[in-house]
Amino acid sequence: MTRDKEEKRRPVLFINDHADILLEILKRLDGRSLCTAACVCRLWRALATADSVWEHLCLRRIVSPPPSSPGSSVRPVVSALGGYRRLYMLCVRHLLTRLDRDPGGRWRTSSAWDELQLSLSLFCVDYYERLGGRFGDTAATSSLMFLCKPVNV
Amino acid sequence: MGPSSTSHAGTGKLIPPFPPQTQLDGLLAGAGYKVRSSDLHHVAQRLESLESAMVSSPSHVVSHLASDTVHYNPADLVSWVDSLLSELTHSHHHPSNPSSSSSSSSTSPPSRPLPVDLDDLFSVPSAAINWVQSEMPLSQQPPPPPPPQQLTVVTTMEEDSGIRLVHALMTCAELVQRGDLHLAGALVDEMTALLTSINTECGIGKVAGYFIDALSRRIVGAGSVPAPPHETEILYHHFYETSPYLKFAHFTANQAILEAFEGYDCVHVIDFSLMHGLQWPALIQALALRPGGPPLLRLTGIGPPSPDGRDTLREIGLGLAEVARSVNVRFAFRGVAASRLEDVKPWMLQVNPNEALAVNSIMQLHKLLGPDPTPIESVLSWIRGLNPKIVTLVEQEVNHNQTGFLDRFTEALYYYSTVFDSLEAACQIQPDKALAEMYLQMEICNIVCYEGAARVERHEPLPKWRDRFNRAGFRPLHLGSNAFNQASMLLMLFSTEGYSVEENEGCLRLGWHSRPLIAASAWQASPGPLPMGADDYWNDD
Repeated sequence: MTRDKEEKRRPVLFINDHADILLEILKRLDGRSLCTAACVCRLWRALATADSVWEHLCLRRIVSPPPSSPGSSVRPVVSALGGYRRLYMLCVRHLLTRLDRDPGGRWRTSSAWDELQLSLSLFCVDYYERLGGRFGDTAATSSLMFLCKPVNV
Repeated sequence: MGPSSTSHAGTGKLIPPFPPQTQLDGLLAGAGYKVRSSDLHHVAQRLESLESAMVSSPSHVVSHLASDTVHYNPADLVSWVDSLLSELTHSHHHPSNPSSSSSSSSTSPPSRPLPVDLDDLFSVPSAAINWVQSEMPLSQQPPPPPPPQQLTVVTTMEEDSGIRLVHALMTCAELVQRGDLHLAGALVDEMTALLTSINTECGIGKVAGYFIDALSRRIVGAGSVPAPPHETEILYHHFYETSPYLKFAHFTANQAILEAFEGYDCVHVIDFSLMHGLQWPALIQALALRPGGPPLLRLTGIGPPSPDGRDTLREIGLGLAEVARSVNVRFAFRGVAASRLEDVKPWMLQVNPNEALAVNSIMQLHKLLGPDPTPIESVLSWIRGLNPKIVTLVEQEVNHNQTGFLDRFTEALYYYSTVFDSLEAACQIQPDKALAEMYLQMEICNIVCYEGAARVERHEPLPKWRDRFNRAGFRPLHLGSNAFNQASMLLMLFSTEGYSVEENEGCLRLGWHSRPLIAASAWQASPGPLPMGADDYWNDD
């Protein structure tokens, strides 16, 4: 094999060699793409399932969190309750979907921060229900069930 | 979107949100005729006599009727028919109404089954009472059971059997109120038979089924066996999941409490009905994130004593403590076991005068509105004596505490029809929906079957609560825009159009299609001397 062909076969930039750039790209994806990215290879999975990326996704719409509750103070609470990825999958995702389907938007006087607060509250109820399974039957973890139904148009 | 009219079927919503106020029969009004419901019986008879007269009369009379008679105001059906009939009889000199010997059977003792034709009975609801009570003299013989097509004017209801069912329910309730239980029982059988012909999976069929069941229990005198607290909690849990009412209640109350607790480092919440404690994780989380850090939170939960030695209150408390620990909120729990709210004494709650106190009552205080002596005054009095920063009250927005049974029944029928409609739209997942409906069925049974101290579901609307709270030394605390926004967002998450939140004098009401169903309000202690007797409860009993 000639040396020219070998050089042409070697890629100029192999993204897996630059995890920091990859991370920056993943941070800008939406939830669905992020999940798809996690299926590519082990490195991508490790990066795409890291909670910091999902935190970025959840807080993305918040232009400036109130100074009294910066993102850093929210983080321990969310981690304790199950992490940003779970928060996104269980609550934030559905909230955003409903948002898109509600063009009237009379409730839009609330900010993205208020939306996140509501997601957090629902998330906390879910955490509480998951805690002991004390309610016996399968109803234990379904207080968020109402979020998972398709929207009646 | 205003209340739908009584007349037309097609959708599941056959019941208007409010009971009809008019005296005119709704169905006929839809066809352009103005007839009072009390006259329907009369009109039916006359029309039928008219037909038999027209059939038996010579043709020249009929053609005269058709062409020469001047018909004034056919909308006034009663006099129009009368005028036609008198014309016929004049030209005929025949008695217009064949006197039938079989008519006497209609006034026979009630042990005989009701008139055979269901159409006949249900189309003349208030007149049916006159029909069967033999002491009411009838001016003429009642007609024999007519073939159905003669009553097509009043019974365009082959497809509207739901409306017939509603009329039947009202009739039955009126019979029960009058004490005519035997006949009411027979009517219940007829209604049960009618139920088989309509869809009991949704709409009026389902609600009617529950009300028929409750009526039959009342007639028999059985009442319903009160469910054990454990079962009630499970049903409550399903009701929580499948509909927004409880979530709305919890989130709105939490927001008000959060705002009232601003600036305090020691806070105490008293929950009048802990159930599974689903309201509190959200408050704990919100306190964790509040500016300035979380306070020390004490929670006192009141609940029924648990059977078989388990301490359910303590278990719930442990779960909540776990949540609080996870988010770094200092937390203390205390359970107070009491089967009735009036049995709770303020010293059991161990309120510290240095802490900010919130009292939370989600659909509990109406249980104190029982017969004299009503405990509500004394309970409100000791609450006031505790000097709370905020009292959050969420109650059903309807009057189920009227003394008259028929009024109560009517209100309940319309209210629960609306609630069931909304449940139908919000959740189709079984068995959760069925369990949520059982929760509501318990309330229906209690309202319909019981009287006196056993009837605890004594809902009253917000204005009455306002009066009570004002008299007890409270003044309103307006729920702010944050609560309203949060409630609106929450509703939007429920993937159904139809729910609405409205704000009214600082209180929020959640409704279905502009019928308010549940109202949330907040109260604070009025400054000034405590009302009489509020201090008495500080002494140990």
